[in-house]
Amino acid sequence: MNNKNKISLVIGGMCILLSCGIAIQVRTITGIGSTTGSNNTENTLRDSVLRTKEDYDNLYEDLDKAEKLLEQERNNATENNTELSELQEEIKTKNTQLGLTDVTGKGVIIELDDNHSVSANSIGLLTDPNSMIVHDSDILYVVNELKNAGAEAISVNDQRIVANTVIECDGSVIKINGVKVGAPFTIKAIGMPETLKNVYRTQGYLWNLKYYYLLEVDFQTSENITIPKYTGTYKFEYAQANN
Amino acid sequence: MKTKMPKIKMSKTKIVMSITIGIACFSLMLVMFMQFKVVKQTDITSIETMREEDLRTELADWKEKYTELTERYNDVMAKITEYQSEKESDEKTAELLQSELNQLNLALGTTDIQGEGITIILEDKKDTELSEGIIVSQITDYDLLIVVRELFAAGAEAISINDNRIVAMTDIFLRESNEISIMQIDSQRITSPYVIKAIGNRAYLESAANSKDGKLKQLQNAGHGLEVQTSSANKPIIINAYTGTIDSKYMQDKEN
Repeated sequence: MNNKNKISLVIGGMCILLSCGIAIQVRTITGIGSTTGSNNTENTLRDSVLRTKEDYDNLYEDLDKAEKLLEQERNNATENNTELSELQEEIKTKNTQLGLTDVTGKGVIIELDDNHSVSANSIGLLTDPNSMIVHDSDILYVVNELKNAGAEAISVNDQRIVANTVIECDGSVIKINGVKVGAPFTIKAIGMPETLKNVYRTQGYLWNLKYYYLLEVDFQTSENITIPKYTGTYKFEYAQANN
Repeated sequence: MKTKMPKIKMSKTKIVMSITIGIACFSLMLVMFMQFKVVKQTDITSIETMREEDLRTELADWKEKYTELTERYNDVMAKITEYQSEKESDEKTAELLQSELNQLNLALGTTDIQGEGITIILEDKKDTELSEGIIVSQITDYDLLIVVRELFAAGAEAISINDNRIVAMTDIFLRESNEISIMQIDSQRITSPYVIKAIGNRAYLESAANSKDGKLKQLQNAGHGLEVQTSSANKPIIINAYTGTIDSKYMQDKEN
């Protein structure tokens, strides 16, 4: 009798746990509101998007190869002439400065995420739960601070920040360079670590995000950061050099 | 002895049963955790969960990017053939290199440029009394960052504020010290009125600047002075080159 009781209690407990788990699951999934595959046009569209993305990636690989070839040709054409190879070096430097190459160096890595452990206490403290998620403005401002601290290259979730990069909010996601990115955000910056550290100063913007708005913020310096290149295009249709 | 036998048998079946139940529970838990992980990883940016309208804009975006990339690809291919055919002549090679440099300087912001676009004159009317008890608050660094963002989003190719060219690593800060606020662009002090010039498609830029939901209209509604001028054929917008230095001391090209 005693044994049976124990067993039924254990099994009962497990069942309750499992049911809770399943209930949470079901609620999360309905919360996402997935209507995947319910609509024919949507599926066709989805296919076309995937195909275009694939075409883009393939073309990008070709472009990579072509750019390497171009550099070789440039080298070949300039190797016997110091004046010309200086020009060639200048082109290389400017390509780097424009974010058209992957770069490495010393710098900082910032991880920024929504507050996932919203407790009754903190809700009472800050009545607006909206303030506990990362906004486009937060990223815009942190990037602005990094630039001020002397960053030479910045990326947010592998999107390279260039002159005409737009960081904007698009419904529930954030768009950078026209590409949708979501939390958690990884902001990398290459530059002098000592000055970049200033971005995480007490009472600074990032510090406030952590200690006042209770977002999840992690700040680290690193000796070896890799930042990917800008995969978009610089286009000048309206502007021309003014000589 | 006789009574002991069935007892052992009973506990044996019990052991088997509890092991089976244990295994079943364990595998269920595993499945659950896998599920949790999957749900956690399902990111909202994935196209699996997008609706028709979003998918259409997504498709249009990618198609446009693809076209741009094709142009860039053709451009690189053209340059390759040019270098190949002009290899023998140093003079021609120098010309090619120079034209590449000119293109890069245009993108870096290190040349003066001109073209169609708009000029925005934004006057900070802080501390004036709008109506009884409502006092206009100062234009902040964030306001200017958003104005710049809206212009780039409308396709601006180059922007300057009070003749400070906005380049990749330009920052805008409102420094407050001793109750005096100073607006700085790349650590250069600027003062109101802010003259914001943008080169790009005139119609797009103008509609962005006059948009009801745009930052500029919001600032105007909040009591600040706003004037938007568009360029004309004989009076293009002229934007000066970036006068600072572009550093690349800490970053190096990654070797593949």
